[in-house]
Amino acid sequence: MSLVRQVRTLALPQPLVEIAGLVAVIARRPVGLIGLVGVGAFVVTSYIGPLVVPLTNSVDIANVYRTPSLAHPLGTDFQGRDVLNQIVYGGRDILSVAFLAAFFSTAVAVTFGSLAASSGGKVDTIVVVLADIVLTVPHLIVLIVVAAIFRPEGFLVLALLLASLQWAGLLRQVRAQILSLKEREYVEAARSLDLGLFHVIFREMLPNMASYVSIHFIFAMTGAVYAQVGLIVLGLVPLSGANWGIMLYFAQSQGALYFRDSFWYILSPILAISLFQLSLVALSAGLEDVFNPRLRAG
Amino acid sequence: MASNAFHVSLLAGAGTQMAALHRHPALRALLKALLTVLAATTITFALVRLLPGNPIDLRIDELTRDGTMTYEDARAQVSGLYAIELDAPLPDQYVSYLWNVARGDLGNSFLSQATPVTSIILAVLPWTLFAVGTGLFLSFAAGIGLGIIAAYRRGSFFDQAVSTVGSIISSVPNYLIAILMVLVLGIQLRIVPITQMRGATSPGIQPGFTPDFVGDVFFHASLPITVFFLTHIGHWILSMRNATLAALEEDYVVAARARGLRDSRIMTAYVGRNAALPLVTQLAISVGFIVGGAVLIEQVFAYQGVGQRLLRAVAQRDYPVMQGILLLTTISVVVANLAADLLYSKLDPRVGHATL
Amino acid sequence: MSLVSVRDLAIEYASRRGPVQAVRGLSFDVQPGETVAIIGESGSGKTTLAVGLIHLLPRNAAVTRGEILFTEDNGIRDVIQMDSETLRRFRWHRAAMVFQSALNSFNPVIDVWAQFLDTARAHGMDDARAVKRRAGELLDLVQLDPDRVLRAYPHQLSGGMKQRVLIALSLLLGPRLLILDEPTTALDILTQRQVIDLLRDLRRQLGFAMIFISHDLSLAAELADRVLTMYAGRIVEEARVADLFYRPRHPYSVGLLRAVPRVSGELGALASIPGSPPDLVSPPSGCAYHPRCPFAIDRCRVEDPSLGPVDSPGHAAACLRWQTVADAVGTREPAEAL
Repeated sequence: MSLVRQVRTLALPQPLVEIAGLVAVIARRPVGLIGLVGVGAFVVTSYIGPLVVPLTNSVDIANVYRTPSLAHPLGTDFQGRDVLNQIVYGGRDILSVAFLAAFFSTAVAVTFGSLAASSGGKVDTIVVVLADIVLTVPHLIVLIVVAAIFRPEGFLVLALLLASLQWAGLLRQVRAQILSLKEREYVEAARSLDLGLFHVIFREMLPNMASYVSIHFIFAMTGAVYAQVGLIVLGLVPLSGANWGIMLYFAQSQGALYFRDSFWYILSPILAISLFQLSLVALSAGLEDVFNPRLRAG
Repeated sequence: MASNAFHVSLLAGAGTQMAALHRHPALRALLKALLTVLAATTITFALVRLLPGNPIDLRIDELTRDGTMTYEDARAQVSGLYAIELDAPLPDQYVSYLWNVARGDLGNSFLSQATPVTSIILAVLPWTLFAVGTGLFLSFAAGIGLGIIAAYRRGSFFDQAVSTVGSIISSVPNYLIAILMVLVLGIQLRIVPITQMRGATSPGIQPGFTPDFVGDVFFHASLPITVFFLTHIGHWILSMRNATLAALEEDYVVAARARGLRDSRIMTAYVGRNAALPLVTQLAISVGFIVGGAVLIEQVFAYQGVGQRLLRAVAQRDYPVMQGILLLTTISVVVANLAADLLYSKLDPRVGHATL
Repeated sequence: MSLVSVRDLAIEYASRRGPVQAVRGLSFDVQPGETVAIIGESGSGKTTLAVGLIHLLPRNAAVTRGEILFTEDNGIRDVIQMDSETLRRFRWHRAAMVFQSALNSFNPVIDVWAQFLDTARAHGMDDARAVKRRAGELLDLVQLDPDRVLRAYPHQLSGGMKQRVLIALSLLLGPRLLILDEPTTALDILTQRQVIDLLRDLRRQLGFAMIFISHDLSLAAELADRVLTMYAGRIVEEARVADLFYRPRHPYSVGLLRAVPRVSGELGALASIPGSPPDLVSPPSGCAYHPRCPFAIDRCRVEDPSLGPVDSPGHAAACLRWQTVADAVGTREPAEAL
């Protein structure tokens, strides 16, 4: 019996079964499996790792820029601290902000996209014009200028800032889909209650939209990672704690880029960030299988 | 103010022209472009003037803090720098700011107060355009070629390798690739003379169209160009591959083979041209985002383009320059989008022609 | 000496459920200047046959056995055995295939003249002026204005115009055989009339042979000399056109004829053939038509009949019970058409 069917026969509460079934479908293809494993590994390491492993903050001048060894599998940094330790701690901030930013932008896009499409008229025009403007301005430059002027502090503000530019693309897609369906369902919807139109669309549309909404969510996360690490490396975000971006910032500001010995100190966050991005992309490729009904059968 | 009345009457007259605009897609595109530029200008104005903690008020504070300058003098100086008249009511300030921008006056730099922002930006813009433009066009050409071959050899090792490598490279943030290049090629393997390649030109070299100078420029730009090339090629490969696969399914391709056309001709003029068409407009649009993407890369290679200038302005709190760069980059995107629309209507005969 | 001789042709293509036997051992001949109509419903394998005749199968399809023998001035060649370059030169020069969707037979981004020139150049005609002259002649022949049409892009032409341009283009190299796949299906009825008349005229003037493949019986009645009905990848009946219409001997042909509504005379009951086309991955046992056949007996479930002669010259049917069919249908004179 296929894995998917096996999962479905387990006596588990329904939502868990759904999720498990989903996971099984994604895992069917190698790329989906890589994505799942990768993202899973990073999530576990970044959130559960810090609970298990304490952050070594002690400065040890004697051990500056050591090459990898058993004691320090990824070497040490410019203050003698273990790099692997920092990598484990370094993901939490990045992942959290990325997730929040993706969540905000997706929520805004879906809500206002549906609203615009179902309201029509002036509301629709305003939303579309706004979205077009946001799509046209170069995001990174706006982020740099805004960050330079307003100095965002904390997770939430940073996430909101990133989300403030990301929503436009998905909004246009959502709006287009609802508009096309609105034309068709219009007659039926007109017969239902006043409240009906928005709710009907929302309930009918959501399953159809699930495919590109979830893929957008993943790519919003990759975009958020790119933008926040970029801002951190430029020193535009107040630096607290240890995360991959901050490691890179210090690498740049300490000139570690040009020493031979600091290789692992710089390479580690680069690898961490890159592998995380790759896992996200692989996961989104795996998600395509979920939404392709022909491939889903049994 | 006289100028105020003029602006208002201009806007009123415009309203009556609106109906005609709906019938001309080119005009609509132009109008949209202007609207976006207007929006960008407004955002810049708001950032600088309206929101709390804005640079203008901060600057006035700074200047008056040590008592060497009166408030009025400080205001006068700052308004000159920003191309914003601080005395007039807000709407007037806004309108005259728009007017200044339209005339090309973006204010002067904070630091070197005689230097207009426009000239600062124009001094560095060509370098960025050169590096990113070259990288982008090269990646487009190579990506299209690899993509079409991958599609023709669908499922083969070549196809899988090219597709996988393409998607991996395009997933990694471009500045990380830049750092990796410096790290691996320059420092660890020492095959590339990194320190000599910093900056846009070598010190002391004479500008001009001499082989020495041009060669030097290419030498310094080669790493940024390579990074831009690598970060974009993945997208072109995958897009072209998909577009080619779709085109190969088309009836006219089968019909062309039924007519005995050579595979090479079909690949170029029938499949290739149809598949690449939407990609060309994507290219035009990418050109617009040139400047945005270059910022971090220029920093890594100390390449003196617009990106690096922006970062310098950030470090020095030179708000007029920052504001000017934001505005100009937005305008470049708008212009590129417009060009993309026009280009597409030129290239695709199905757009904008009446039926016989 | 036949112009084209198809012998036991079998074509399969791959699908998820297994190999689909689209053509299961087909044989027929076409004489020079003759017009043969191959009639069948959707799913009978007729389009696969059409592209198979010039060996232009998609990636997942292949000829599993058989030959397609084409007679030229210097001998007989098997199309299936041709290497790719020979095949390329053979196509359009000896046999020109006109697709159903003339709507999408042209490259949308280059103009009509360029496509004429491409075709000419691919076959060694490099003199652009000569090609222009020839194109002009052909377009006149199909009653189109060369100046307007050659300069146009495909999307600027109507469906009927495109079909005519395609026919003109098909004659560019003077082929002996024209293969047309559903030539009138996508057109409105007036344009259909024009195209049919045009084909008849051209055939008279130029003397090429035609194979056209369709579900439209009226087309066969207008243009064909002989008709072959195709079912489940096989030919189940072949006859001269009058014989097929007035003296059909295979139940499937009868069914097809009965399903066509009549314009004149009484409004009889419209009879469609019950059931649906056969599954070509695993065709029915015995005679493939038996599940839908009103004349079927137990023997039909077991025995798979091949084409055998019936009661008129040049007329064959693959039915064990053709005699019974003949009795049921009778032999009517033209005035009492079915």
